[in-house]
Amino acid sequence: MSLLERYTQPAESQLPTVSHQGEIPAGQPTCSITIDGTVVTAVVGEAILRAAQRAGFNVPTLCDDEKLAPAAACRMCLVEIEGYQRPMPSCHLPAEAGMKITSASDGLFAMRKQNLEYILSDHNAYCMPPCQVGCPTHIDIPGYLELMAKGQHVEAARLVKEVLPFPYALGLVCPAPCQEVCRRGLVEEEIAIRQCHGYGGELSLEMEQAPTPFPQEAATGKRVAVIGAGPAGLTAAYYSALKGHAVTVFDMMEKQGGMLRYGIPEYRLPKVKLDKELNSVWQLRDTEFKGGMKLGRDFTIDDLFAKGYDAVFLGIGAWSSNELRIPGEDLPGVIEAISYLSQNASGDPVAVGQGSRVVVMGGGFTTFDCARTSRRLGADVTVVYRRSRKEMGAHYTEVDDAEHEGIKLEFFAAPMRIVEKNGRAAGVEFQRMALGEPDASGRRRPVPIEGSEFVIDCDVVIPAIGQVPVLDWYEGSPGLRKTRRETIVANGALMTDRPGVFSGGDCQMGTVTVIQAVAQGKLAAKAIDRYLAGDDMNRVAEEIRAEEEVPELIDIVPYKPEEPQVRMPFLPFADRVKSFQLIENGYDKAAAEKEAARCLQCVCPDAGQCDLQRLSLEHGLTENRFHRAEPVDYHDYEYDFSHDFILRDLNKCINCTQCVRICRDVIGANCYGLMGGGYDSIVTTPWNVSLSYTDCVSCGACAETCPTGALMMRERDLQTYELDIVRCIYCGDCVEVCPHGALGETPNFELSTYQRFGVTVLAKEELAAARNWKPSEHIPLADESQRSAIRPPEIRPPGPPRWNA
Amino acid sequence: MPTSTTYRVLDLEINAAHERDRARAMDPHELIALVEASGLRGRGGAGFPLARKLAATRTAAAGGSAYLVANAYDADPGSPLSRTILLRRPELVIEGLAIAAAAVGATKAYLYVHPEATTARAAAEKALEERRAGLGDLQVEIALGPGGFMGGEESALLAVLESRRAMARQRPPYPATQGLLARPTLVASAETLAALPLIVRDGAEAFRMVGTAASPGTKLVSVTGAVASPGIYEVALGTTLGDILARAGGAMGTLKGLHVGGPTGGILNATRTGVALDYEPLKAAGTHLGSAQIRVIANDVCIVHEAAKLFGYLAKENCGICVPCRVGTKRVQGILEGVYSDLGRDDDLPWLAELADHLDQFSLCGFGITSASIIRTTVSEFPDDYRRHIADRTCPTGSCSPARSRRYETMAQP
Repeated sequence: MSLLERYTQPAESQLPTVSHQGEIPAGQPTCSITIDGTVVTAVVGEAILRAAQRAGFNVPTLCDDEKLAPAAACRMCLVEIEGYQRPMPSCHLPAEAGMKITSASDGLFAMRKQNLEYILSDHNAYCMPPCQVGCPTHIDIPGYLELMAKGQHVEAARLVKEVLPFPYALGLVCPAPCQEVCRRGLVEEEIAIRQCHGYGGELSLEMEQAPTPFPQEAATGKRVAVIGAGPAGLTAAYYSALKGHAVTVFDMMEKQGGMLRYGIPEYRLPKVKLDKELNSVWQLRDTEFKGGMKLGRDFTIDDLFAKGYDAVFLGIGAWSSNELRIPGEDLPGVIEAISYLSQNASGDPVAVGQGSRVVVMGGGFTTFDCARTSRRLGADVTVVYRRSRKEMGAHYTEVDDAEHEGIKLEFFAAPMRIVEKNGRAAGVEFQRMALGEPDASGRRRPVPIEGSEFVIDCDVVIPAIGQVPVLDWYEGSPGLRKTRRETIVANGALMTDRPGVFSGGDCQMGTVTVIQAVAQGKLAAKAIDRYLAGDDMNRVAEEIRAEEEVPELIDIVPYKPEEPQVRMPFLPFADRVKSFQLIENGYDKAAAEKEAARCLQCVCPDAGQCDLQRLSLEHGLTENRFHRAEPVDYHDYEYDFSHDFILRDLNKCINCTQCVRICRDVIGANCYGLMGGGYDSIVTTPWNVSLSYTDCVSCGACAETCPTGALMMRERDLQTYELDIVRCIYCGDCVEVCPHGALGETPNFELSTYQRFGVTVLAKEELAAARNWKPSEHIPLADESQRSAIRPPEIRPPGPPRWNA
Repeated sequence: MPTSTTYRVLDLEINAAHERDRARAMDPHELIALVEASGLRGRGGAGFPLARKLAATRTAAAGGSAYLVANAYDADPGSPLSRTILLRRPELVIEGLAIAAAAVGATKAYLYVHPEATTARAAAEKALEERRAGLGDLQVEIALGPGGFMGGEESALLAVLESRRAMARQRPPYPATQGLLARPTLVASAETLAALPLIVRDGAEAFRMVGTAASPGTKLVSVTGAVASPGIYEVALGTTLGDILARAGGAMGTLKGLHVGGPTGGILNATRTGVALDYEPLKAAGTHLGSAQIRVIANDVCIVHEAAKLFGYLAKENCGICVPCRVGTKRVQGILEGVYSDLGRDDDLPWLAELADHLDQFSLCGFGITSASIIRTTVSEFPDDYRRHIADRTCPTGSCSPARSRRYETMAQP
């Protein structure tokens, strides 16, 4: 019996449905087929695809639904069958005894990939937003910006804290890789993404209890030791604690924060507020900070396991400056960048003062932290870098600001030796450089120019050419491995060679930005949680790799009116020279909301659930050869957002016809069909009218079955409907007809309301009170004593019904 | 013994109604055996032996209802063969339909015509009214297609008869086992059916006297393009393309190529006049019999432009269900337009070959599968036209003007 026959038979004579996950029910006629060399049992007449899925073969498909008659439209499930001239669609061809099937081969893979390339070449829609892809922590940036634009700042902060526990600190110091790729930049200017979450973070600081992304889970009884209270360590601690594990954080310094406190100067990040934000970790249950405890000096990793810790996270940072390797480096007057910054941060005396002449060498963040700190201490500062401004590791705003603050910049100069005078450093001799061939990092390698030596006189020399982790405890910690660059080796799940010991941040990656360290802390917490649950860490590593590898697939910018970035108040340059006052003053509420509203929301709500995206990733479709041709080569459809429950975006439609079939054959409303011819064929409503004008019953089956984001259930805005209790006769008709069961009957046949899809039915008095109500807040009630009652209450008339009176 | 040795369907002196009655008197199995012995193959282009279709439909019907569809649609506007038969010999088609119905046991038949073929339809209606009494139980209905190229595809026409959009359906199951309303259905072209009265009258041996051993009989061909006397010709299968061209008076100007098989057919160069008009030889040459249109292309035509025009037509006419055909034809058109707009690159040719393989392997119906031959033949038969456009940035015939200012570019994802 062919498939079509199965579907056209009356229901009672059809074979019982065989789920692709379940077992074959007894009594079904079965046969044996061979798929990729494995003998598989199939029900006679069922689609090959069904049998393959049941046997665990991953045959890709975009148009198959076991409820529906096959369409063979997407051409993804084609398999090679012995005796057939061409690959055949496995969703359509019934299994027959003795079939020999190849479901995966290089040829099929290439053809399927070509199919996907075709589909995506006319998939005129956004997929992942580039900001979210660009951020190492992958914050849902469009999501929190939308919440902020609506004024729901606490919700926004919660969303940010799902992956970034310290939005205030990062709002000030993050180099914002997200903003560099922001699509709004193609319109006029990128969104000030980091200032926006900075505002959310600042708002959280003012709350008694910082909001958490989700309630802390019940205690698991497991204990995690985190070594290093920097951004990586505290992030790992935060998420481990939220997962219910008891966390102890050790740090060699007395106070928390790591490089955030001891490396980043006050003018970029005020320590009082930093402490306030980091304290959100200690607000969680079973968290503890132990300062002044140095790994190797006060304890070892073995000690921690002996004390009953189940997992250890190493986030010790990179606290040792690289040496210049030039003569005179040991002279007094040559000071170490990190200790200089940390002494200054701790309030200890430093070698730089009013009138000092300081030379800082390097081009990274630390270089400029040292230079601008020295400038604020009254020094005359020169930054010397061996390449050009473009190659500097520090963010360009940092370099520009430094220049404006009166710091001299000297490019293309490499230090030769420290000039000695009276046993102290008195200057540095440099040699001019020119740019040569690009090196492994892609940056052009500087080459010296002979005879171009020159000397810059100074009192203090600060080499700041990068840092490495301090691994003096390494010998006493068996089971770990380190690289030539003195970093700790960890796998994709951030676990070191010693089971239970994880590592992340600067000490594992080499010096990175704060946001990368936070991202590692987040991943480590996830990996630790899985480790403590006893999962296979190789699989966890594979899962993490797959999750992290989510490229954006499409790039199209719709028009929005131009709206320049909302400027943030900055401390004037003149005021900066002798003050460690914070430079960036942050947004206020209005500015944050205005800026957040500029976001183009260039994200597909279906990203992550989209079958097309998943298959494209599985097939390694990283590039498309059909870009940037004439407008006639692509379709640009209008959205249909007119329906109350279902959003239609034809641009994302791939003509799989699942909605056509489910609406016609399962629901019976028959709202969809193909319109247009040839390349312009598209699945839509008759005459492409609004779905509201069809026989749509708002069941949502089409949105559920849609493999892409072309049909989606509408996100319901929180709204209230007015119910005039005085005129209601309690007929119950509304209860009967509501397709979503938003209204129900109480046993004594009175109306009650449920809150479904965020819609509340309110009586008039309540509605009046709710007019000023923000959706994120409690619904204010006339009688405040009812506050504790579960909302919403049953609606009852104020007195007995009139006809009884 | 045959009374005529010409075997030209169009000139045949025959009392078709009499042959129909003879066929009805025969045992159906015997009738099918007779058709099998005659070696009659489908004139729609694929050349599937009619007897096997008849037998399969009869077996699948197993005594139950079966349908019969005479495809007189003429999907290719350049090849109005069915219209010609319906205008000149409508009784052959109608009685051929009745003979086939007797062979498969069908009681309901459709004569499926193009909506624009009004005169042919009128002729068919007239002939049908005249013969209604003789047809007895067999109900024959004239059904109109939707217009457009896709309406003639055998599974799409079944969808049309079911009042649905003309969409191709994946086969198997073939119409012979599951066609109209999921019942066994014989779909045969009007030209194939028109040969049946003749076979019944003169027997298989006589039918085999013309044509080749593998493909007996005659075939209508439409000779169009740069030729002295364009028109419909009836030739024996196996006649060389050169002979057909000579019968049509020869090419106007210097012959550059022969586009054989309609819009999805390949283009052969001027040296291929020795290729026989027959299913297998044409396939071996890289094209197919298809709609039996032989379009003569003269020296002033750029083949790249020609191929792009064909794909433009296909991108407009496909049914839109499967990805290779819906998007693929459009993309191939874009690449070809890029080439003749002098935006081509060396790697466009291997790219086209790759896309041709994909069309061939992954398309749902013959539409996409056969369209690959356009890419394959034009690239292999006319390499110079491509080379001049890509390497020298000039049109070999000076006839192309740029169709686009931007070509497809690769964009890597970040």
